[in-house]
Amino acid sequence: MIFEAQAARIGRPIEESYRATREFVSLFAQAIIQSFVPPYRVKDIFKQLSFMAAESAPVVIFCLCFAAVVTIIESSFHMKLIIQNDSLVPGFAALLIIRELGAVVTALLVTSRVGAGIAAEVGSMQITEQIDALKMLGINPVRFLVVPRFVASLLGGVLLTIIANCVCLYVAMLVSEVKLGYTPGSFIMAMRAFVHFKDMFFATIKGACFGAVIPIFSCYFGFRCKSGAEGVGLATTNSVVATSVAIIIIDFVLSWVFSYLY
Amino acid sequence: MIGAIFSEVGLTVLFLRDIVRTAVRNPINGHLIAEQIVKVTQQSFATTALAGFFVGAILTVQFTLQVKQFGALGYLGGLATSGTIREVGPLLIAFMLSGKVGAFTSAELGTMRVTEQIDAIRCLGANPLLEIILPRFIGIVISSFFLLAIGLFMSIFGGLLMGVLFSGINPDEYLRHIPTIVSLVSIASGLIKCFVFALVLATICTYKGYATTGGAKGVGRAVVSTAVATMVCIVIADWFTSFIGDVVMFLFIGD
Repeated sequence: MIFEAQAARIGRPIEESYRATREFVSLFAQAIIQSFVPPYRVKDIFKQLSFMAAESAPVVIFCLCFAAVVTIIESSFHMKLIIQNDSLVPGFAALLIIRELGAVVTALLVTSRVGAGIAAEVGSMQITEQIDALKMLGINPVRFLVVPRFVASLLGGVLLTIIANCVCLYVAMLVSEVKLGYTPGSFIMAMRAFVHFKDMFFATIKGACFGAVIPIFSCYFGFRCKSGAEGVGLATTNSVVATSVAIIIIDFVLSWVFSYLY
Repeated sequence: MIGAIFSEVGLTVLFLRDIVRTAVRNPINGHLIAEQIVKVTQQSFATTALAGFFVGAILTVQFTLQVKQFGALGYLGGLATSGTIREVGPLLIAFMLSGKVGAFTSAELGTMRVTEQIDAIRCLGANPLLEIILPRFIGIVISSFFLLAIGLFMSIFGGLLMGVLFSGINPDEYLRHIPTIVSLVSIASGLIKCFVFALVLATICTYKGYATTGGAKGVGRAVVSTAVATMVCIVIADWFTSFIGDVVMFLFIGD
């Protein structure tokens, strides 16, 4: 008897995590399959695209540029502290922005704006039984709620990454001229030495992957939301945590894969 | 547009004044605050530690590429740690934390508001500011400060790992120059920034949650606007603390 109780205590978390993984994978697969099934809900997709990309763009780009500026000023300060020479800062700043900062920070900021919003909205729908109502009406909630967000976030991730990278590089150029005293010409020369067009392409792939992950996690936690005020909060945080961790892990994996392609 | 922003800022400041007034006039319930501290810390510990780890790793890679050209890899540890602690670390970790703590608090308070639980508390003759908002506010300030500080501490290990894996220097060499380059001023500046960000985060997320209107959609809207407002305000607070820090340094050291 004691042995059985022990086995159950060990087995239950394993079974639960297996079930959670299965649900997550099936939600992901359903979202991908359903997004190819006509009729396409173009109007909904554009509405979500406007919410995710267009309305996020100003704040995301603002924060990203500030982070880049702070990084540049800090590295220049420290390089001058040690070796009295910050001539490599502009080139490597461009490298850092395109390879890591642009895609990852954009995705993390979008997660806390869009991902949290989706999780809270879907979670509230779940606890007020609106999702059950959808099912009663014969509407597939994955098709109705997840697919437009999934497609819009995928496209939005790509677009937002490209725009954010461009603006951020421009701001980095500005800062190197104003604060460090390197002319735009020398910034662009340094950039050409360190950064290739391939890098922009890889950043776009990263943006697409991050964009695809965000709504799936949010909707998954929103659907599993338990009742009550705390349930919605918990669903929101869990989705933000899971998405952020997933983004960082995917970033490591993709960077490792891309490092073989340079 | 501009008017709406100003009125929002004004309402947030008035809300902060109400919180402070409630805190001063009433005995503080230590038990509720401790509960909030445990809850917030427990939930966010892993993310913050991971974010710190990541920031440290990125900065180490960035500095490795640069100092390698000058053959000064020995200074890498000190450079990366100092660079992270002073400004970049608090900023990026606070972005992560704002998404987490801010979203949770505003979603919870927002749902309480739209399901009329806050009105119910008022009906029972209790003060919702004292019972619900104040413990969360103080709890979030304290635990966010410690979480950010732990994130900064973890960034050293992230940097250490990347230093060993990416730049191929041994751990002793990495750690040796940390005390010589990281000054007390850097640590103080990092910790002050952490505290200011914690304050900004707590104020905004409690206010946005408390002021939610309009059903399930309204909760989603509150969460989204919390994220946006927190990010922008953290950037502004970062700039502002740097500015004030420069002024203070100028007054005391005159450099």
